[in-house]
Amino acid sequence: MSLAIRKCSSDLLSITKWVVRREYRLLSTLPENIEPANTDVDEKAPRTGRRPRLQNPVLEYRHIYPEFLPDPNPKWRNSLREKLERADMLKRRAKIDIPEFYVGSILAVTVSDPHAQGKTNRFVGICIDRKGCGLRAQFILRNVVDHQGVEVRYDLYDPIIQSIQVLRLEKRLDDELFYLRDALPEYSTFPFDMDPEVLPDGTPVPINDVQVKLKPRPWLERWERQELKGVSNIEEHLKEKDRKRRELRKEPWEKYDLMKQYRRTIPIEEQSEIWGEVYNQLQQMHVSRRKVARKRVLATPKPQLG
Amino acid sequence: MNQAEVTKLVSKLRIKIPPKHRKMSSPEGPEGRMNKLRKTVTGLFKYERIELNHNRADEARQYAERLIAEAINHGDCHKPTMEMADYWLLEKELVHKLFKVLVPRYENSNTAYTRMLRAPRPEYSYNTEKTVLELRGNPYPPLHNKQANNRQLLQNILLDAAKYEYRQTKYAEMAENIGKNEQEKPSV
Amino acid sequence: MLRRLLATNTLRGFHTTACMNEVRLLTRLRVVDNSEIGKRAMAEGKPPKVICVYNKQRVGYIGDRVMVAIKGEKKKGILVGLKQKQSVRVPKFDSNNVVLIDDSGTPLGTRIHVPIPTILRTILKQRTHAKGADYTKLLGIATRFV
Repeated sequence: MSLAIRKCSSDLLSITKWVVRREYRLLSTLPENIEPANTDVDEKAPRTGRRPRLQNPVLEYRHIYPEFLPDPNPKWRNSLREKLERADMLKRRAKIDIPEFYVGSILAVTVSDPHAQGKTNRFVGICIDRKGCGLRAQFILRNVVDHQGVEVRYDLYDPIIQSIQVLRLEKRLDDELFYLRDALPEYSTFPFDMDPEVLPDGTPVPINDVQVKLKPRPWLERWERQELKGVSNIEEHLKEKDRKRRELRKEPWEKYDLMKQYRRTIPIEEQSEIWGEVYNQLQQMHVSRRKVARKRVLATPKPQLG
Repeated sequence: MNQAEVTKLVSKLRIKIPPKHRKMSSPEGPEGRMNKLRKTVTGLFKYERIELNHNRADEARQYAERLIAEAINHGDCHKPTMEMADYWLLEKELVHKLFKVLVPRYENSNTAYTRMLRAPRPEYSYNTEKTVLELRGNPYPPLHNKQANNRQLLQNILLDAAKYEYRQTKYAEMAENIGKNEQEKPSV
Repeated sequence: MLRRLLATNTLRGFHTTACMNEVRLLTRLRVVDNSEIGKRAMAEGKPPKVICVYNKQRVGYIGDRVMVAIKGEKKKGILVGLKQKQSVRVPKFDSNNVVLIDDSGTPLGTRIHVPIPTILRTILKQRTHAKGADYTKLLGIATRFV
């Protein structure tokens, strides 16, 4: 169902450990303080000089729920609004199961549609992008229906959405898959009657390392400049001119720009505050959903028999 | 509204960060800017105290802080951090200094790792603000005088003199009053 | 000659890519119904060009009526799918699709072979007036809605 659920047993243990240790420290007076200090020393002893910090395991939630983190641009920060938005998001998540998914996963979204005849509309497609934060979080699904590429953008917290179902949970090699628009149609064709694939408990999210083939140019973007890992035949379509320009446009210093990284991320301290605020409710929701899902699995054979 | 990047975790800096970077005009563009800052950061790590223009100092300070924070977070066995230090410190012995000297120095500190102070502006200069940028805990004598009650300060000397004078006049008055009282008492 | 042309094209100093993907004057469209003229035009590689968009902005949005030049004739059509960025829950297509109609709103073909956005139902109903053309006939020949 989701990473958090599958990992939950191990995660829960480590998280409780961490919380307990933290509270222990808060409550403790001198004699108890000695214990953690000793363990720290023991950990340090074998690897001299290297000191990875004790990191809060709750921080791993940032991959599953990236929209809970605010926009790092200080122009858009407002702590009160962010807090209210998080509360609203949790309320919405209590109503509807928004599963864990990534760019590259295949989703089925059912919305109530006043224009459709059955008043509901279901769309299946591969998630090619996930963007926005807070209540404005969005994702784009892409599919090829009757040899015609179709993309639909959904708001993640749209009250009109009736259900979001993950048909295949996986990641791709790139963070956004807009190059599927220029790829051969078979790479983004998915049948609407696809069966959901259930991953066994405890497996990490698989990474699909399929490399797509692009159609010949013209393309919508200059894919050759974007260092894409999921495209196999980009060099076939390039001319000498394009290779030269790609070299000229390279920015090898970019990855060393520490402040650029900093301005794009939310620091650990702020993140642990946010996750500490929403952790309990998210965890409760997962546990209850997991129970329901188990029951459903047990209950499904009955109608088939009858 | 953009989503925050989640691939990297950074620790919060203890200095004020302006919302945008300074462009630091350079004929080589953004690469030239980075090269300028690399030189400044290397100088800061080498000499631990440097005097320079405010803009460049403020910009380089952020990078120096980030570099130290990364080094503290990941240690010297983390390859990306090592590459980062290798890029930012042009003299390679400074990489050792970063991991062997500066990381232990700042590991348990609760304040920023650097300090920026205003320097006097040179006379007849253009409108350039000078700044002293230094690493905290450097071996040099401190730049600012923290003793609030230094007796040698001019205003303290003047205040002392005024107090002394005031006290003298008061004593004189009291002496006069005592003399008067003694004269008046027998008459009563 | 061709090489020279290409060279001038690259040196022109401004780029001619249609970033906005808007349907405006002289945009090439794709005919998605099975009308005879539309099929022939697409097969010959001469897709119709927009020569008029019937709205005030002169930029075609979903469900708008356009006049196209197709095989040397003037025909009217309705935009049933756009490449441009759409609002939330409205599908965006990989091509600008048009269905040819005549003046009374009757489609020239008998079948549309690509999916049609459901929002067209509401839009076309609003555009249809009692005495004017009846555009909702187009919905009858659609095979699939998304």
